Amino acid sequence: MEGREPIIQVNDLHHNYLRGTPLEVTALKGVTMEIYPGEAVGIIGRTGAGKSTIVQHFNGLIRPRERGKVIVDGVDLADPAVDIRALRQKVGLVFQYPEQQLFERFVGDDVAFGPLKMGLPMDEVRERVREAMEMVGLSFEAFKDRYTFTLSGGEMRKAAIAGVLALRPKVLILDESTSGVDPRSRKELLGHISRLHEEYGLTVIFVSPNMEDVAELVDRVYVIDDGRTVMSGTTREVFSRPEELVRYGLGVPQITEIVHELAQRGKLPPTTVISVQEGKEAIWKILNSSAT
Amino acid sequence: MSEEPIIRVENVTFAYNAESANPIIALRNINLSLYRGDYLVIVGHNGSGKSTLAKHLNALLLPTEGDVWVKGMNTKDPQHTLDIRSSVGMVFQIPDNQIVATLVEHDVAFGPENLGLPPEEIERRVEWALGVVDMLPYRHRAPHRLSAGQKQRVAIAGVMAMKPDVLVLDESTAMLDPVGRNEVLKAVRRLNQEEGITVIAITHFMHEATEGNRVIVMEAGRIVMEGTPREVFSQVEALRELMLDVPQPTEVAYELHKLRPDFPPDLLTVQEVVEEVCRRNGRVR
Repeated sequence: MEGREPIIQVNDLHHNYLRGTPLEVTALKGVTMEIYPGEAVGIIGRTGAGKSTIVQHFNGLIRPRERGKVIVDGVDLADPAVDIRALRQKVGLVFQYPEQQLFERFVGDDVAFGPLKMGLPMDEVRERVREAMEMVGLSFEAFKDRYTFTLSGGEMRKAAIAGVLALRPKVLILDESTSGVDPRSRKELLGHISRLHEEYGLTVIFVSPNMEDVAELVDRVYVIDDGRTVMSGTTREVFSRPEELVRYGLGVPQITEIVHELAQRGKLPPTTVISVQEGKEAIWKILNSSAT
Repeated sequence: MSEEPIIRVENVTFAYNAESANPIIALRNINLSLYRGDYLVIVGHNGSGKSTLAKHLNALLLPTEGDVWVKGMNTKDPQHTLDIRSSVGMVFQIPDNQIVATLVEHDVAFGPENLGLPPEEIERRVEWALGVVDMLPYRHRAPHRLSAGQKQRVAIAGVMAMKPDVLVLDESTAMLDPVGRNEVLKAVRRLNQEEGITVIAITHFMHEATEGNRVIVMEAGRIVMEGTPREVFSQVEALRELMLDVPQPTEVAYELHKLRPDFPPDLLTVQEVVEEVCRRNGRVR
């Protein structure tokens, strides 16, 4: 990562909603972060912390007009001449209820909407749609002619993500896009997203209230509270500070909690595990040390 | 149990588009009795019938075959629809669909106002309900300006202000942050244990399922597993087969049990695992 330019750079970003009205609310009061190409980064924080406000800056839905800078792929988004269309092809955003992003009758048409608007030739559009659908695990042949309203919740989310991937973005932002889907679809989605990250080198920004998912998917985490960056580090570093996380409305995965508690009782040196597998190994050592 | 169940679901089958050539069968011969004070958690994938079942409990949907009885009233009897709906309050997944007013406290007051209660009682209920979900400081705010988690707490307060006998939570914690979720779970637990409210919670978070005294697992319109949380979650392989999660403490206990059969496989909580490991570690030393 050293020596590479961040693909997204945020410096001391501030934002107020309804600026200049009596209803003005301060949403961001100093957010700083750097995201490098090919990284999977988590943005976590309690509801209302400002996470969605931050990521909506990344594809130009909100423009930095006050203090602070947002630079995406070398472009300063405060510049009024920014090519927003180009930016939105580069940075794909999937919202909290991605199924609400679907609007066409047929799945294939919905996924094709972006590439069509880019003015690509028909066979290229078709190719991109096929590729994007297969990337999220929707078979092109089986799903392209399905009515969008007949899809299950999980399939709708996959279709919405495919619609964003069809633009071939460099950065994929998932803003709580896996909340409320069932465990089967969630596992499938997480699997596909980590494959996109690992095999295609896609930069992934993952906003989620689910600490288990964060532990599984991302390498690095930013914690946002009250409109500010309050913690950052590798997933393991951040999860090694559970008291602070609780103060910010968050927590750690239960397996992390078990091992922390055992360490506190002197059963093992301070250790932060982030998966059940690691937890099992740590506890196994304790059990065996007592047997000898 | 000799006591009359507060909700009884008898041989219920439900089909969407029942009259059409291609009915979609969502529930297949469901039988279920809930007693006053029960805390039932329903887990299962999208499309397994959980929400369809929940919507039968306050007459939002009526069985294609079979009957649902709420406090002895058949949901098919239109005379009882209002009584049933004030007995069984429901909170859905997307709070925006459930919020009607432009101020938080007005939204919570909407239900009690429609019951024709005196203003002091309405005021008392609004304050209590907002307090329970920890939203009292937001009473003068506009709901649409709140975050998703805060909105959900307002929606829950709105239902609680109706003082129903039964509270149905249909994935209502899906959008909350961990601490917010714990606050809501705590409030629901308090309602269940202290106020005797019967709770039915649909969730995808398996550790929430350990909150209840009963769990049912649904798959393809049927109840496929049923029991206490410990009975259900100890069947790790069966749950994995259904591609459902188990709570992480249960998963690690189960994995340790495989390595060492004397380690109990059916632990549910962080505390139980910690105590078990400490007990064993201390014993041999």
